[in-house]
Amino acid sequence: MSQTNIAVNLILKKLAETTGKAKIKVRKASEVLLSPLDTELSKTPYEVVYKEDRVGLKYYKPSEVKHKYPLLIVYALINRETMLDLQPGRSVVQTFLDSGLEVYMVDWGYPTRKDKYVTIDDHVNGYMDNIVDFIRKKHGLPQINLMGICMGGAFCVMYSALHPEKIKNLVTTVTPTNFDTDKGLLHVWMKYTDAFLMGESYGNMPGDLMNLGFLLLNPARLILDKYVGFFENMDDKDFVENFIRMEKWIFDSPDVPAATFHQFVTDCYRKNLLIQNKLELNGRRVDLKNITMPLLNFYGQYDHLVPPEACELLTKAVGSKDTEDICLKTGHIGIYVSSKCQREFGPKIIKWLKEREGEPKTDKSPETSRTPSGSKIRRETVKYVSPKKIIGKESKPASPDLKKAK
Amino acid sequence: MDQDQKKETAIGSLFAQWTKSQADLWEDMIRMQFGMSDASEKSRKNPLHQTQKAYESGSKILGALISTLSEPENLESALKGMDSLPEFMMHITQQAYEGYLEFQKKIVEIAAKIGQHTEAYKFEGIDQNIFKVWRDIYEKEFRQYLNVPQLGLNRFHQERIARLIDTLNIFQASLNEFIYMFYIPIEKSGAVMQEKIEQLAEKGEIHDNFKEYYNMWIKTLEGHYMTLLKSPEYAEVMNNTINALVQYREAKQEVLYDILKEFPIPTNKDMDELYNDLYILKKKVSDLSRKLEESRGV
Repeated sequence: MSQTNIAVNLILKKLAETTGKAKIKVRKASEVLLSPLDTELSKTPYEVVYKEDRVGLKYYKPSEVKHKYPLLIVYALINRETMLDLQPGRSVVQTFLDSGLEVYMVDWGYPTRKDKYVTIDDHVNGYMDNIVDFIRKKHGLPQINLMGICMGGAFCVMYSALHPEKIKNLVTTVTPTNFDTDKGLLHVWMKYTDAFLMGESYGNMPGDLMNLGFLLLNPARLILDKYVGFFENMDDKDFVENFIRMEKWIFDSPDVPAATFHQFVTDCYRKNLLIQNKLELNGRRVDLKNITMPLLNFYGQYDHLVPPEACELLTKAVGSKDTEDICLKTGHIGIYVSSKCQREFGPKIIKWLKEREGEPKTDKSPETSRTPSGSKIRRETVKYVSPKKIIGKESKPASPDLKKAK
Repeated sequence: MDQDQKKETAIGSLFAQWTKSQADLWEDMIRMQFGMSDASEKSRKNPLHQTQKAYESGSKILGALISTLSEPENLESALKGMDSLPEFMMHITQQAYEGYLEFQKKIVEIAAKIGQHTEAYKFEGIDQNIFKVWRDIYEKEFRQYLNVPQLGLNRFHQERIARLIDTLNIFQASLNEFIYMFYIPIEKSGAVMQEKIEQLAEKGEIHDNFKEYYNMWIKTLEGHYMTLLKSPEYAEVMNNTINALVQYREAKQEVLYDILKEFPIPTNKDMDELYNDLYILKKKVSDLSRKLEESRGV
């Protein structure tokens, strides 16, 4: 047996130093945790201008309106729309308002047992259609701009295909439309398990159960390492405030109506009907060729929930000639909350919408190329980072934009 | 006639005499208790007399039964019937014991494998036998007793309770398997770390910073989880757990509905029916409003 060479004295010395540092850290941490903390989400003022059942419509008014068409944002039924207005300096909504864009945002509320029979059709052709009509009427406009996030993006795609005359421009962000991929674990699990049965068993699909499922997507980082990071940095007030804000958002998960969850799992994840133009809502076929308005499609290169393979087919499937794919080097939530994406994501949408209002361009357009189908695709010119590094970076506990499944 | 036959005849005769004395005793008891009452028409309507009659009738049936038993051939048949009870009990015990032995045997087999090399990042053919064996034994040996057809007025309630017990057992078995599977990456990454530390020690490159080891371990653990979570084995176990949970919840709700029926509160079942009606009505009203607006040209 070979003789090992372990410097025990060095290890003990280091241990003594660490213990000393830990003592100081704990004292500082207790001061931080016991002091008043600013962890409030969604601070930008808004007004609820429309209400139907549990669904509300938030209206954010800019100090000066500079855009002709207002923007309606439709968030997913999973987690809450507060993510777009997480904190000052990290708010997509604030970026839009600063540019003079009027923003409306759907607040799906908290479904109760009463909502268990509510289907995708009720969301798309019911609540969404009523909201779009309300905004059109309020502004005296035939069309408005529409932006969707994740599952909300899929709803926007369905809506735009069924009511193209009401939509001026469509922006989809991390929106799954092609479900026939095994790249994301969520796609695998939804395909090979009967998860939708739980929705029926519990009345609705419980938000807490979904959160548990999302944590299980990367247990080492999301259940363990994240909190180790918190303990390491809990003497830093800014870090603690950002961390708690993110925790509040992550675990604020409304239940998903059972009928909607069932339909989304079976028709989308299992049968992949949407991208094949075979999905039907209340007997009406959703034909993506009807989407003839300009389409801007964002997705994250390292998104483990809605991988690029689930997003990038959309621009080729629609009827519009004016389409653009933008793949950012980030994950599912990073698009909205990471500092780098904050500088690119919001401003790009503003510029893209402005260009399609018929007004003169204000700055140089980004580096783009056209795909054979006619759609433009823009890749970031940021230095390439390997996926492994990205996983580590995204899950880095010190960062408040910790990735969480949605 | 051999000795054994003589012995049997003697026992039979003794039993016949004993049964006769029992029948006589019951008759005397009845007569003693009600002997004072007269037999007039008036007294026949008396409740005491009616009770006496019922007792007499009962004692006669009892006497007849006992007398029947005193006949050697009837006695033999009755005794044979009684013989089948311990046989039945024996059968149940034997099956349960065999199941237990089988289970124990598998535990010993698995215990013998402890300490064998665990291969990193390999999740095919994970040894979850212990859970499969328990489930198999439960399904083959024990479950059948919960599925015995129930009889009588309470048969539906009994069936629901038996189903609740059954689904709970299956759910617990599935959950244990799921939890065990989730523990495997921790075990595997521990083994990998041990190897890595040994290698570092051999090279004399041991870090003095604990965080270095933690980072190494969490990265290994993450890698193991990523491999496990993508595996078809994991999807299968997860699916089994989901299905078992759903069935258990369903069975539990059925029993709860039975209990709650006695209280003046609506159950989820009642509310769901109501919500469904409300949903359909709202949809109809909304459609009609839309049609009305369209016809008005709004």
